[in-house]
Amino acid sequence: MADKSLLVVDDSATMRQLLCMTLTRVEGITQANITEAFDGEDALDKIRSQDFDLVLTDIRMPRMDGLEFIRVVRSEMKDSKLPIIIISTKGADEDVKLGMSLGASGYLSKPISMPQLKELVLNFLGEH
Amino acid sequence: MAQEPAEILNLFAKSEELVDMLRKGRAFTEELMCENERLRYRVIQLEAQQMGGPYDILLTDVERLRLENAQMSQKLEFLDRRFQQVEAENKDFAQRYVQVEEQNESLANLYVASHRLHSTLDSAEVVECIKEILLNMIGSEDFGLLVIDDETNELLRAGYEGETAGRPDRARVTLGEGLEGIVALAGKPFFSERDGEEVCACVPLKIKERVVGLITIYSLLSHKRGLSPLDHQLLELLAGHAASALISSKLYSMADRKLRTIEGFMDLLRVPQGGGNG
Repeated sequence: MADKSLLVVDDSATMRQLLCMTLTRVEGITQANITEAFDGEDALDKIRSQDFDLVLTDIRMPRMDGLEFIRVVRSEMKDSKLPIIIISTKGADEDVKLGMSLGASGYLSKPISMPQLKELVLNFLGEH
Repeated sequence: MAQEPAEILNLFAKSEELVDMLRKGRAFTEELMCENERLRYRVIQLEAQQMGGPYDILLTDVERLRLENAQMSQKLEFLDRRFQQVEAENKDFAQRYVQVEEQNESLANLYVASHRLHSTLDSAEVVECIKEILLNMIGSEDFGLLVIDDETNELLRAGYEGETAGRPDRARVTLGEGLEGIVALAGKPFFSERDGEEVCACVPLKIKERVVGLITIYSLLSHKRGLSPLDHQLLELLAGHAASALISSKLYSMADRKLRTIEGFMDLLRVPQGGGNG
């Protein structure tokens, strides 16, 4: 797990900090494994220059939202099995459905439940 | 005539001999019967010995096994009791673990929230931060942030999210009027105990006993069923941090404004170099 790298994409610094803090509570993940991006464009720049094992992304963000980000990633990296988890403010609304149809691997609803996040992260990092 | 007694004597001798033989036969038969009796007795003795040995051993074994069985039953009962006890302890530990995890989660939330709130002295950023916390950590969908205006003594809307909180009548609230006005005046939080009420929670932002504003939550995100006791605690703790962050930013901007005014005056008062003597 120590060599895994994660990308957290959210325009809210509070949410990014909270996600990072939660992720570092998963065994083997440290702050050094986590890269932060503040919107879809920033995340794309980072994903083009570095390999990641898991991406956690918010949906509603300025400049490029999470859905567009997923669409671009899936079209640019067709062979990649990079897991992308959507973090949504609403349960299973249209955004989540659209995100899943665009190629998201899973979703979590805000407020984030730590055990759920840990389970999902461990699941995807284990498989990847 | 002379032969007659001799024949008689002969006959008598033969009969004597026969009697003797019969006597001997009788004695022999009696002896045989005695021996037979002795042997039968011996056979019975031997049979009794043969039967009695293993039976006693068997009885002893049965008794020993019965004792062992009783001891094992006692041990089993003890182990069963202990198992139930350990199982109950285990359940208790599992429940406590979940509680501790929830508390850790809340503490992490609180840490991040307070860290974010105190990381800026810009009022707009503080308001934005409070909104993020209410949305992302508490799971509020429709909420408003009201701040007391010292001049008019009214609650003025500083930030909101959602339809109800955005209504024009929620932009300005008089102290003591309506739920928000009462909460601001009393300084005590309100948490709805029933579903379907217009307000889920109304929490005053206080510095010590002074109310500086309040947070009103009208509705939660669809998947969030309600506010838990932990959410109540978190909201109250956050309210304290939010109040101090709001006041700090307000004081900072006031001080900054004053500083700039003073600097402006200083610039005006400053005599231009070499311009005084014409």
